[in-house]
Amino acid sequence: MIQFLNLLINGVIEGLVVALPALAMTLVMGVNRFPNAATGDFMTAGAYTAVIMQTLGVSSLLGATVVAALGTAVISVLSYELIFKKLARQPMIASLLAAIGLGFLLRSVISFFAGHDQRNFQVPLVRAWNFDGIRLLPSDLNIAAAALVCLLLVFLLLYKTSFGRQLRAVSDNPDLARASGIRARSLMIGLWLLVGIISAIGGVLLGMKAVVMPELGWDHLLPAFAAMVLGGIGSPVGAVLGALIMCVAQELSVPLLGPSYKLVLSFGVLALVLLIRPSGLMGRTELVR
Amino acid sequence: MIAYFVAIGIVSLIYALLALGLNLQFGLTRLVNFGIVAFFAIGAYTSALLALAGVPLVISFVCATLLAGLAALPIGLLSLRLREDYLAIVTLGFSEAVRITIQQEEWLTKGVQGLPGIPKFFASLGASQSDNALFVLLLALTALVAWGTVRLTRSPLGRLLRAIGDDEPALMALGKDPTKFKVQIFMLGAALAGLAGAFYAHFITFISPEQFIPLVTFYVWMGLIMGGSGTVRGALGGTILLMIFLEGSRFIKDWIPGVSEVQMASVRLAAVGLALILVTLYRPNGLFSGRTKT
Repeated sequence: MIQFLNLLINGVIEGLVVALPALAMTLVMGVNRFPNAATGDFMTAGAYTAVIMQTLGVSSLLGATVVAALGTAVISVLSYELIFKKLARQPMIASLLAAIGLGFLLRSVISFFAGHDQRNFQVPLVRAWNFDGIRLLPSDLNIAAAALVCLLLVFLLLYKTSFGRQLRAVSDNPDLARASGIRARSLMIGLWLLVGIISAIGGVLLGMKAVVMPELGWDHLLPAFAAMVLGGIGSPVGAVLGALIMCVAQELSVPLLGPSYKLVLSFGVLALVLLIRPSGLMGRTELVR
Repeated sequence: MIAYFVAIGIVSLIYALLALGLNLQFGLTRLVNFGIVAFFAIGAYTSALLALAGVPLVISFVCATLLAGLAALPIGLLSLRLREDYLAIVTLGFSEAVRITIQQEEWLTKGVQGLPGIPKFFASLGASQSDNALFVLLLALTALVAWGTVRLTRSPLGRLLRAIGDDEPALMALGKDPTKFKVQIFMLGAALAGLAGAFYAHFITFISPEQFIPLVTFYVWMGLIMGGSGTVRGALGGTILLMIFLEGSRFIKDWIPGVSEVQMASVRLAAVGLALILVTLYRPNGLFSGRTKT
């Protein structure tokens, strides 16, 4: 029971973090209509930028994260302007292949300069709190809180601002949105800025939870994608719910299957959801088939 | 020197088989398979394990081909219900799931240690002659598959497959049922990848999970889209470009001082990434085509 609770807590924390890239993917999927396979490597880019900032002497983790978020946002917007915008009228596979290529490119630049050694964030080591066997790391709580705050801010942006309303309008019905006079250009730049920022924060938080290495983001691409599909494509709430369910399921599978099979589990969940309910928990079917 | 060229020739032909398989799936029928390496791995491990257990190579090759094809059946059935990008990610996930399973099930596959000492084809002929014979066999086989693909493209079935890729709803409106053919073609392409995997295992004689990473899948994709998908000429031409790139990058390393082997792997990865981006942006029909419209 205590082991179950520990795994549950861990799953929820990881789910909150994975919700960030899942959200980034679902937004792009809803608006630009392709799965951004480079999302994982945006995360890696963010994590490495933050690590490098720390080694350069930016002592506060918050400061390093802000720089990482801005840097990744620039990469993200550039990739939209230089690649994905030009492929918008091509078949979806063109954007997907280019996104895979972009991911390879980012990862190779990172591994060329930073090498394959694992890196860590400089965070004070604190002992885990122990409540009758239920272990809780204060740093994990900080990660969960940061992810939660970040998610809340994104939802405020999506549901309480004009930018968010326009974005959701384009996601729902691009033609109607255009007819209503929504300007696509600045909206797209805003979207890809947001994608870069939340991917980078997700990357930093994942790096804090584990270690930073070039495959950090790529390894979380499949869980994030599965979370997005589980929640329903294009649904921000669904992405968060999907990530939580997915990561809790992954953690709970550890005693049965061992930690290495987490990724296989997320693939299994993905295949199962697509088989039984392709529209996901809160999605719309027409985006699926 | 000749032995080196024969070795490159064998690897090229193995990639050519993979490219021809992908050409059937994507080039002809628009099935986006991002999990080529999964079927390649299934073929390699099936044949290697059977051969190490004493099964004759001919039988182990047949089993490798069949098993890889069968493994594609559930994914193929799933693909019928999905849009192309979903199939892409599902197959990508499948290939990672296969790799992790191979890595973990040590009782069967020896895990990360890999399988050494896989018997060579034509081993009775001696070391150098066996490679020459393998090269000739692969050449004949690749020619056969290429010829079969051309025949298929020109047959009524080929036109049907092309129509599936071009405009599926219109085809259905004409009363044709594309689903059966899609699954069959997906399985056929996967079986080809399995056969290629068996050849690979018995040529390299050592296989381990880290040889079956998604990068292999995208090598094949890079070759096919550079050559121009949809035609045998494109698949084969692209494979040659791919091999020039893979082998050439080894030599370039000797000319650039101060770049380590690990860093060279990064440079190669960067080149694959750039190629995927630039070709989709500027030459969606392949480097050999003048047209830039899909």
